[in-house]
Amino acid sequence: MRKLVGLILILMMVLTSFAGCQSSSKIKIAVAGPLTGDFAEYGTGFKNAVELMVEEWNKKGGVLGKQVEVVVFDDKNNGEEAATIAEKIVADKDIKAVIGHFASGVCMAASPKYQEAGLVEMSPSASHPDYTKEGEFIFRNNTVINVEAKVAVDLATKTLGKKKVGILSVKTDWGTKTAEITKTLVKDAGGEVVAHQEVVDGTIDFSPNITKLNSAGAEVVIVAAMYNSLAPFATQYKAVNPKIELVGFSNAYSQQLIDLAKGSAENIHFPTIFFHGSADPKVAEFVKAYKDKYGSSPSSLTAQAYDSAGMILQAIKNAGKADRTAIKDELYKMNYPGVTGATKFENKIGDAVKTFTMVKVQNGKFVEVK
Amino acid sequence: MVLQQLSNGLTLGMVYALIAVGYSLVFGILRLVNFSHGSVYAFGAHMAMLFVSMQFGIIPAFILSIVLTGILGIAIDKMALAPLRAKKSKGIAALITTIGISYIIQNVLMITFGSQTKFFPKLFDFGSIYIGGVAFNTTQICISGVSLMLLLILSCVIRYTKVGLAMRAVEQNQKAANLMGIDVNFVVTFTFFLGGASAAIAGTLISGYYQIVYPNMGFVAGLKAFSAAVLGGIGVLYGSIFGGLVVGISESFAAAYLGGSYRDAVAFLILIIVLLIKPTGLFGKKGITKV
Repeated sequence: MRKLVGLILILMMVLTSFAGCQSSSKIKIAVAGPLTGDFAEYGTGFKNAVELMVEEWNKKGGVLGKQVEVVVFDDKNNGEEAATIAEKIVADKDIKAVIGHFASGVCMAASPKYQEAGLVEMSPSASHPDYTKEGEFIFRNNTVINVEAKVAVDLATKTLGKKKVGILSVKTDWGTKTAEITKTLVKDAGGEVVAHQEVVDGTIDFSPNITKLNSAGAEVVIVAAMYNSLAPFATQYKAVNPKIELVGFSNAYSQQLIDLAKGSAENIHFPTIFFHGSADPKVAEFVKAYKDKYGSSPSSLTAQAYDSAGMILQAIKNAGKADRTAIKDELYKMNYPGVTGATKFENKIGDAVKTFTMVKVQNGKFVEVK
Repeated sequence: MVLQQLSNGLTLGMVYALIAVGYSLVFGILRLVNFSHGSVYAFGAHMAMLFVSMQFGIIPAFILSIVLTGILGIAIDKMALAPLRAKKSKGIAALITTIGISYIIQNVLMITFGSQTKFFPKLFDFGSIYIGGVAFNTTQICISGVSLMLLLILSCVIRYTKVGLAMRAVEQNQKAANLMGIDVNFVVTFTFFLGGASAAIAGTLISGYYQIVYPNMGFVAGLKAFSAAVLGGIGVLYGSIFGGLVVGISESFAAAYLGGSYRDAVAFLILIIVLLIKPTGLFGKKGITKV
């Protein structure tokens, strides 16, 4: 017994000495997102964008004279995985902020941990209204669904001029909420929701849903789903009814969509905060740097991740110290001019206020809708 | 609308039938549920995609994929299952082995091709045909037609050829067939080839229909085809076809009238009900010893 107590004491001493080693003066930024699986495209985008931003800062001498290090975590877009990763991240005292978690539901599984530990979580993608309600450390560099859905409905009813609207949504926190909001907005815009179909994430056979939507007389379908659903949906729908118009959301705005759907992607409309073909020199410079380094065009969410990293580094610089709480305070004071427009957080709520651009697919490329 | 849903379901059902036949063939000969079949199906689709992207053209790619996937079927048997049989190990060991193989194939596909969803070119697209106000998608018609033709060919092979006769003999009694001078090992190899080939055909057809390919595609499709095979009476070929159609149509109707979340559940619900009433499946023979 006494031996055991002795052992435990020795172990504790050794461990505490290690803990001492850890609190070095490094500045680490964590990126958490899906790096494998169906949403790997998005998570890899987060990682690439943050690394690009950090590299730019490090070239200029880092922040507060220290080099910044990026630590990457793969949450597979899975809530349980994300919660475990959150534990790991908050335990590492060198990590000053987290950029990430992709889907709203996954972000919300991890956010209580970050709030409790007092670490800034900045999601470049979460858009569920409840996400930032977790607390003051929870931010998003994305707009809430309501704002985006309004633009999507405008695209369907005004730009495309169709009144009979069908809705297809995925059964996730985000998808269900988006569909619900879209329904009310369509009515307000003088349109009519003729059918609403829900599918489980990962569905590839949409023919029963398409038959329903088509026989209900939908002229335009608003699709609240990622590119991996929107692409096969578009191909299958256009085989049945080539005249159908489709409106997506900004998280389906990705080069992958065109690669998967080819000709069927034509004339799909999207609201998006970031448009990579924009004439703004800041955007052009970012797109060029990203393309040179990774060989592909950045998507909307990738650009938002890039700006998220910029905001956090700027906040550390403004605060004059790499302190978890100080970063949060500085973020609320900031008006950050990024590639996704000027961003600020109003009324101590971590929801970014942004403006939307409308884009569509034309001849296999994304172009701006005037 | 009902007709349209029926045609959606029939297409899906035909493809399930093609996969289910693979389960049935192997089960008939070895009394083994080959759970690696779903992954073999995904492998077939990936091979077709690979050869199409290498500019082989659709038809040669299709044939190459069928041959390669058939060979994969043989390899699975020779490398993993035949040694177990030689050691006369219990049936359950082989069953678990097939589950392991399934994961190996899936992960190899993920490593070589990446886990993301990939594009697959469209097969047979001739627009839509209108019959009595209902639009029939030609892709659907072609898929059903090709599947039906292949199932017929397969039935003929088993019914009227020498190999087919040998297969039926082995199915009835392996030892007696061996004593009569039938090369049982060859029959097993041939069966695995047929199973792999039919999975490759199903995989290519389905990928050409949805125009996407991904490594996990075989999991749910495999489970549903398995339930189709059991539903019709595993080991009975026409039973698998019937089972496939029931599963496909019920899935299509469930998705349309009960909502997307029930589509996967309904097939299994029907399976449970059928098994409660008739434990050997709809067309199953009595006295099959289950694993």
